[in-house]
Amino acid sequence: MASSVAVGGRSARKRRPASSSQKSGAALTRTSAFGLGVSMIWFSLLVLIPLSAIIVKATGGGWSTFESVLTNDNTRAALGLTVVASLIITAINMVMGTIIAWVLVRDRFPGKALLDLVIDIPFAMPTIVAGLVLLSLYGPQSPIGVEVSGTRWSVLLAIAFVTLPFVVRTVQPVLEELETDVEDAAASLGATRFTTFRRVILPALVPAIFAGAALSFARGISEYGALVLISGNLPRSTEVVSVRLFSFLEGGNTEAAAAVATIMLVIALLAIVTLDVVQRRVARRG
Amino acid sequence: MSIEIKGVNKMFGDFVALDDVNVSLPTGQLTALLGPSGGGKSTLLRIIAGLDAADSGTITIEGTNATTLPPQKRNVGFVFQHYAVFKHMTVAKNVAFGLEIRKRPKDEIAARVDELLKLVHLSQFAHRLPSQLSGGQRQRMALARALAVEPTVLLLDEPFGALDAKVRKELRDWLRRLHDEVHVTTVFVTHDQEEAMEVADEIVVINNGRVEQVGTPDQLYDEPANDFVMGFLGEITTLNGVMLRPHDIHVSLTPEVAGAAEGTISRLLRVGFEVRATVLTDDGEEVTVILTRTHARQLGLETGVRVWVTPAAGALTMPSLTAAAG
Repeated sequence: MASSVAVGGRSARKRRPASSSQKSGAALTRTSAFGLGVSMIWFSLLVLIPLSAIIVKATGGGWSTFESVLTNDNTRAALGLTVVASLIITAINMVMGTIIAWVLVRDRFPGKALLDLVIDIPFAMPTIVAGLVLLSLYGPQSPIGVEVSGTRWSVLLAIAFVTLPFVVRTVQPVLEELETDVEDAAASLGATRFTTFRRVILPALVPAIFAGAALSFARGISEYGALVLISGNLPRSTEVVSVRLFSFLEGGNTEAAAAVATIMLVIALLAIVTLDVVQRRVARRG
Repeated sequence: MSIEIKGVNKMFGDFVALDDVNVSLPTGQLTALLGPSGGGKSTLLRIIAGLDAADSGTITIEGTNATTLPPQKRNVGFVFQHYAVFKHMTVAKNVAFGLEIRKRPKDEIAARVDELLKLVHLSQFAHRLPSQLSGGQRQRMALARALAVEPTVLLLDEPFGALDAKVRKELRDWLRRLHDEVHVTTVFVTHDQEEAMEVADEIVVINNGRVEQVGTPDQLYDEPANDFVMGFLGEITTLNGVMLRPHDIHVSLTPEVAGAAEGTISRLLRVGFEVRATVLTDDGEEVTVILTRTHARQLGLETGVRVWVTPAAGALTMPSLTAAAG
């Protein structure tokens, strides 16, 4: 189930077709059986068992818990804000990330190596530090005169900040492997730069863009640290799900927290499956 | 004249890729640009296609000045060494690409693609992806794709360079037959002199960014303009200070002709039907001689045997200016 919820920046870079090496039904060799066993145990301990525990916990209170959570205006607002903001930023990332990857691979300019390094910083630094950075720049007494803290813009800003590297890092290696010969071939067949991009380059990048988008969305809906300082956490305005969830826990309402967590789990899963389906459609068209 | 190249220069940084190149390539013929790697032949081809721009000089294609035209407007077909296939499109879609760009009616495109796939013997693979084809099949697909737009000239950049020897030979013959059918002006780049001589009507030898000689395969082989062309088109060896081909040397066990050099066979190597003998003459020259196995047997050649070597009657010779290799 959760196998496609690949956490970690680079793991989803390449998706292999299911039929890559092992034929289904063939007996496992000793080493591959050992490998599979170790991976399954590790994965179960870290992911499957805790996730099941959450679901069990959430359903322990029956439908009424879900109902009360979903009918609560504050929670609904937080869910809506989180999902919508993450979708908007994911869409922006798909465009901006591709452009940044393009610049990093195809263009030559001084400081390129440095920029290539800096791209990872939003991903690498502790999110609470990211929050501090954003607050110092866009908070009260902003040195550049732009104050967004406490508004919904701050939510978008914080999510955009922490999810910036994902699409860049998934698209970059694919773009590096793309031969420029292919573009020359399209040009000599009469295609303009734009047509070449739309019909030849973009289809090759689509799987990587969507893989990055899935990671970006998953990270966006789960963001806490970068948001908690700058958004102001105003219920029904700038409060996101993770903050809402934390306040449930603080209030000792673990059932409600587990219910919210389960809902988020379903949303994440839906988003990733949807992106995968769309990606397959788009890639097949050409 | 189909393609006129006048005074073309091209530098990459400090490196002179093309140095005042002037060539006319005739219409309807199959021309080879032959030369060692890094000699500038691919650069010239890319300049003809408009994929690179010359620093100076003009390119005229079928009477139109194409020097400043972008590649899209030159109506040339280009085939790349590494196929440059559109990986996400089927074979048929690849071939149809240029026609779709030109917004031809759908049924016309389908008919043309069908016809081209037949021409390159790929009809049964129309709905496969390029990754499911072999190298030779991919290159045939790339050729069909380039031919689809009915180009004025067809340019091939080391088209068989990435293929193994057997497939390369097959495709070479096939390209020659295809050209006899289609008659489009074709220019292909190769560093393989055998390939050039077998396939081309005319060969342009390019070295160090300069045209060394232009001529038919026979002209180049029989009347090379200089020692570079002679050395590049076939093996050479030196005998009595003249360069000649190793198979143009007459070997005898007795001094038959006056002036024949006397020597000892120092090495004998058999490769299939031919025997390569190295004769160390008493003047200290190492002469390579190639003869057939039958001939070598008749003479009873073996290492250590004393022989007399002399240029055979009608042999092409050239005074050796530089120390010739081999």
